[in-house]
Amino acid sequence: MAEHNAEGSVPALRTDRLGRRYGRMWALRDCTIEVPAGAVAALVGPNGAGKTTLLEMIIGLLEPTEGQVAVFGETSRAGTAQALARVGYVAQDHPLYRDFTVADMFHLGRAMNPRWDQQVAAARVDALGIPLRRKVRHLSGGQRAQVSLTMALAKRAPLLVLDEPVSSLDPVARLEFMRDVMASAADADLTFLISSHVVSELERFCDWLIVLASGHVQLAGPADDLLAVHRLLTVPRAVPDAELPGTAIHRTDSDRHSTVLVRTDPVQLAVQGHAGWQADPVSFEELVMGYLQRPSAATTGNPAPAAQRPAASAKAVTR
Amino acid sequence: MFRFRLDGSSGVPPYLQLVHQVRQALLLGYLQEGDRLPTVKDVAADLVINPNTVVKAYRQLEHEGIAGGRPGQGTFITATSSPVPAQTQQDLRASLEAWLRAAQEAGMSDEAVTALIAAARHGMRKERV
Amino acid sequence: MIWVSWRQHRGQAIACLALLAALAVYAVIEGSSMRTAFSNDGLVGTCLARTQGTGCENGVGAFMGEFGSAVNIAFWSVCLIIPGLIGVLVGGSLIARELEYGTWRLAWSQTVPRTRWLAVKLALVTGGLIVLGAAITAVIMWYRAPMDRLTGRLQHNIFDYEGLVPTAYILCAFGFAVLAGLLIRRSIPAMVAAFVPWLAIRLVVEFVLRPRFLAPVTGPMSARCQQPSVGCGSGISSVPQATGHIGDWVLSMNPGNLVTYQPADRFWPFQCIEAGIFVALTATALGATIWLLHRRAAWTALSPAHRARPRAGLRSGRPRGGAVGGDGAVSPRRGRSRWLSRRDESERD
Repeated sequence: MAEHNAEGSVPALRTDRLGRRYGRMWALRDCTIEVPAGAVAALVGPNGAGKTTLLEMIIGLLEPTEGQVAVFGETSRAGTAQALARVGYVAQDHPLYRDFTVADMFHLGRAMNPRWDQQVAAARVDALGIPLRRKVRHLSGGQRAQVSLTMALAKRAPLLVLDEPVSSLDPVARLEFMRDVMASAADADLTFLISSHVVSELERFCDWLIVLASGHVQLAGPADDLLAVHRLLTVPRAVPDAELPGTAIHRTDSDRHSTVLVRTDPVQLAVQGHAGWQADPVSFEELVMGYLQRPSAATTGNPAPAAQRPAASAKAVTR
Repeated sequence: MFRFRLDGSSGVPPYLQLVHQVRQALLLGYLQEGDRLPTVKDVAADLVINPNTVVKAYRQLEHEGIAGGRPGQGTFITATSSPVPAQTQQDLRASLEAWLRAAQEAGMSDEAVTALIAAARHGMRKERV
Repeated sequence: MIWVSWRQHRGQAIACLALLAALAVYAVIEGSSMRTAFSNDGLVGTCLARTQGTGCENGVGAFMGEFGSAVNIAFWSVCLIIPGLIGVLVGGSLIARELEYGTWRLAWSQTVPRTRWLAVKLALVTGGLIVLGAAITAVIMWYRAPMDRLTGRLQHNIFDYEGLVPTAYILCAFGFAVLAGLLIRRSIPAMVAAFVPWLAIRLVVEFVLRPRFLAPVTGPMSARCQQPSVGCGSGISSVPQATGHIGDWVLSMNPGNLVTYQPADRFWPFQCIEAGIFVALTATALGATIWLLHRRAAWTALSPAHRARPRAGLRSGRPRGGAVGGDGAVSPRRGRSRWLSRRDESERD
């Protein structure tokens, strides 16, 4: 079982001021993140935030305009066999060749990946009850997702990138898929980077969080630590941000009171003791939504976009 | 094999829930010294949670002296807390239920009951010191 | 990688084999009856050898009437587009299909660099098309052998089916379609976009350039043709041609009983020249494709913004209609091809 945040171990992923420009628009800028080995990291953000751009640069499908990517300490030029070998990838909607049988897909994996482990692949689909001879087009959505995951696992890459792996699956398939991901994370010392729209379910899966919006990293770090240094303050409406402890991230005003997500040192907060103020621990969802709705200081420097509409509800919607 | 539960809406971090459940099980006698806890992989797959969470819980248990890992074999309960015998448990539970009924009839709300229990505990601790 | 390319084109290969088989069946049936007729009008065989068609007009006339009719000519004229169709059908979907269906994300994230992926594929498929082209040509040449002895092989509708050029036509259409597939990213539009220029170039080369590959010869009309009402002249069905020599390709009849023509023995040089043109076009198109794909390893085929699903913003437990603020607001502009790209297949499920 991989050590979480072990000192001195090579991080599974490190990017250094990574950026990507299309024409004159920056899709991603100044992205510096780190994911330790063995972590299951979540990459969260709305569409257009640059998630897929970031993932593709990590995978080696896309060449950065600036900055670099290091996977387990090694940097290679995008598109080379070395870069491609280090990362397993399950793309959104799990593309497979519909004409191929499952066995054909594995044959493809074997032909195109020197480190392919056919036994792992065969054992997995066997355990899942997916017949090798069946054509991909006759598989259910959940089964296709499983086959895609199998292909990524059998590639024997130490870092696996899943791009919204469950957004097209029904709840049962979703659960089964994530069950397998968790089991693989436990089993094989793998590092996962999972991008997702659905914030509410991420808490149980992820121990590392990266929030991306407007092409910039808004928040990144170990999930537990981040949750520990943020609080949801309920204060009288009149109290301005400046008087609040720590940094105000996002504020919602009601008639008489405001709810403010702050980043603060908990000890400092305990000392403050104001009447009528209340500090609550913040949930994963509230944390992420707060940062996404933050009037962002960091932008890509692109021409002013259309005014950003805040999400319909500032408060997290609980399941 | 001991099985964990996860309450997604309780607001308690998952790893703490696991730790609590082991402690509870020990107290109630469902786990005893020498019992093996399920592997990290099994728990992660069963509950569909991050295995690092399970690792954290197991480490916390080690830290509290409740469980310990034997390399290559798994994690085993090491604590020798004497569980309350089943009969005593039953008796205590019966008298608790009677008390709760009385409180309800007296018109105490659930919150008031909880507050009362907390106050009484607090008082007892003070006494002990 | 070779297996992968083969497996992906296996269906097409089978279809092509079926086409070839059908053609062979037709050729054997028609060709046998042609051969029978040829030897039955036995006059024709021996006659030609002796007199270049003079004196066996009846036999020639009968034979040509049966096998050189207008219907036949029309049929084979239409069939001229078939090499183009084969080429664009095979080539149009080669890259475009991957881009359309999103499987490029699968194919190009395995441990094979994408240029190698493409190079192996192109090599295999090109090889297959060459074999196919050669086989088709062989079958047709066998089929037409008796006829060719009467008409020669330089003329329109004949030249295009023999020698090297059918294969070259297929390859050229293929090359155009592969390039179009990369640029347009959708199979059917790519096929159309490749077919049109292919056809245009075909027509230009055939009708404008081919008569001039080598300087035409001007010579006297044959004595026989100078008498009126003898059926010789220019055109596919004229046996012999106005020069009096079977196989010459008469371009025009000039005053003073002079004929401008291309001699029959220029068949192979012309084949080489025309095939060379189309092979050069193929090489250019395929080379450009590989180069573009390599260069464009700098950007993936589909820009991020268009991938935004209309409904999904950031879901917090409950799906919402309409996009959250960031959606589209910072979408990079990629130019017109972005709008031609289609979302992944699951949208169509």
